[in-house]
Amino acid sequence: MILSDLLHRTVRDDSGRTLGVASDARFAVTDDDSGRPAEARLVGLIVSRRHAGSFVGYERTAVNSPWPIARFLRWRHRGSFLVRWEDIAEISPESVRLRTGFVRHPSALPTDEDGRDAMKGTAS
Amino acid sequence: MTRRHNTRTIDATLSLLDRQVLDADDVPVQVVTDLELTDVALDHPIPVGTGAPVITALLSGPVLATRIFGGRPPTSRLHRIDWADVAEIGVAISLSVRGDSLAVTWVERWISEHIVGRIPGGRNDPE
Amino acid sequence: MKKLLGLALGVLTAIGGFLDIGDLVTNAVVGSRFGLTLGWVVVVGVVGICLFAQMSGRVAAVSGRATFEIIRERLGPRAGVANLAASFLINLLTLTAEVGGIALALQLASSIEPWLWMPVAAFAVWLVVWRVKFSIMENVTGLLGLTLIVFAVALFLLKPDWMQLATQFLQPTVPAAGAAPEASSTYWYYAVALFGAAMTPYEVFFFSSGAVEEKWSIKDLGQSRLNVLVGFPLGGILSLAIAACAAVVLLPRSIDVTALSQVVLPVAAAGGKLAVAFVLVGIVAATFGAALETTLSSGYTLAQFFGWSWGKFRKPAQAARFHITMIVCLLIGLGVLATGVDPVAVTEFSVVFSAIALPLTYLPILLVANDPQYMGRYVNGRITNALGMLYLVIILVASLAAIPLMIITGAGA
Repeated sequence: MILSDLLHRTVRDDSGRTLGVASDARFAVTDDDSGRPAEARLVGLIVSRRHAGSFVGYERTAVNSPWPIARFLRWRHRGSFLVRWEDIAEISPESVRLRTGFVRHPSALPTDEDGRDAMKGTAS
Repeated sequence: MTRRHNTRTIDATLSLLDRQVLDADDVPVQVVTDLELTDVALDHPIPVGTGAPVITALLSGPVLATRIFGGRPPTSRLHRIDWADVAEIGVAISLSVRGDSLAVTWVERWISEHIVGRIPGGRNDPE
Repeated sequence: MKKLLGLALGVLTAIGGFLDIGDLVTNAVVGSRFGLTLGWVVVVGVVGICLFAQMSGRVAAVSGRATFEIIRERLGPRAGVANLAASFLINLLTLTAEVGGIALALQLASSIEPWLWMPVAAFAVWLVVWRVKFSIMENVTGLLGLTLIVFAVALFLLKPDWMQLATQFLQPTVPAAGAAPEASSTYWYYAVALFGAAMTPYEVFFFSSGAVEEKWSIKDLGQSRLNVLVGFPLGGILSLAIAACAAVVLLPRSIDVTALSQVVLPVAAAGGKLAVAFVLVGIVAATFGAALETTLSSGYTLAQFFGWSWGKFRKPAQAARFHITMIVCLLIGLGVLATGVDPVAVTEFSVVFSAIALPLTYLPILLVANDPQYMGRYVNGRITNALGMLYLVIILVASLAAIPLMIITGAGA
């Protein structure tokens, strides 16, 4: 399966109602003993109301400045949520269908203790 | 001594797609335009408890036309780099192998050998 | 001395950006028609380019990513391709004009027809891009381009009415009286053109890629800032000097600037043959520097967008597609020039189109300069962000006004 099979697909609930569009895919990356990112497992899909590109992902990251742009983009992506892999019932060329009783998780990326995004990861 | 395995969460379009892939010598190899995941039956209900797919390869392909007009390049034309060759994910994605050993660099190598290398001075350092 | 040479990247970027053939002529045109009343645009433009060059230089030094890579990574697919198309086209147009400009400058010096110089100029540009080390290229071109200071010297020698010049600069009104009254739409057309010329995207592509070429890192942040703060204001001052010379010598006599020879006229009037000799060296160096800058930018933008190996620090055989791109661009430029088109007219168009492409180029830089994933703790401060947002608005306004103004005024006729 290719990521393009998932991204930008219409996301529907079990009754066929459109919830939005899969705007991103979230992965949990686990390093092995040598620090290599050995496994990148799909956590779920980010469902957004609009088709527009994410643009730095302001609505999900801790980046707050410049504030007019951050405010505008968060407003534009209000209502976006994460749906976990376990809640995905079927993937078809037309849409992604969710299971009954799926949970809307917050779309914000988890931050580490410093409040920065965990995606900074190992030192460069 | 056991190492605590570091796990972090990343989003594909923010941290992987459109990122530069560098080989072990920091030479640019390709841009990630797609990701290959473990297969999931499409058009079939997914059984409860099926494990989530993992990334198996970085993909790149001729996306200029598809980005303007839509759609995606056929799978056969996508170059793949095994996920096992990925050493680090940062601002760019670093590999643990050298570019020469990858199939994806054949265009660069062809032009290098047949055109650029033939022009006088092409193989020398600038001075 | 080493410290002075360390400023070469900034000086070369500024000279190629502010004093290329298009700017040389535009500044003289503006001076001969508007005096110094458009001087404030140069100041606004210099502050703007300092701001964004500084940000993109900082991003390149801290994260190792050059500007067009940032654009690719942050704008998303469609907008990224749009920016690539616009930027590449503008680069190509400007490159064509610069190669033509080298030939025009050499014609002034030698009285040999420019068509004979054009292939020589293109070949010389290619040779430097192919074989000469980046640092030597910037040092030599930057130093020689500085001889354009002779415009400032000439201005003093002309003993102008300083009060009149200062009044024009500080009270920017459209000259309504006089021998050739100008429409206010023409005034604003040239304002947008001057602004676009000061903030041309290829200056930022070149500066940030040059930072990667020179392998600047966090410890070079101070040097990056110094390069910006010395180079670009210097370019701005020389631009103003050219306009002022034209204002003093050409405006009172209603002499129109249509060729390079009129640009040089004030210098000839002030200092005779010796001054003209200096200025010709400067003009050849500046247009050559601009040709280098736009040629390299063509390579940088394409290679960075597609993820190819790039950089003059690599053997050509290890950056094959990068070098092929530049060779092809130079050949296309030569081809266009062979059709007999006027190089100066080409730049005047490309400058206005630069103004249109500015927002797509500068927004990603502003965003990434705030992103801790790239910048760690070197993200923008609040003042930088405030200025950045202000300039984003100015850039948007200029970008939207460019085409209507061009149509209304018939490209400044």
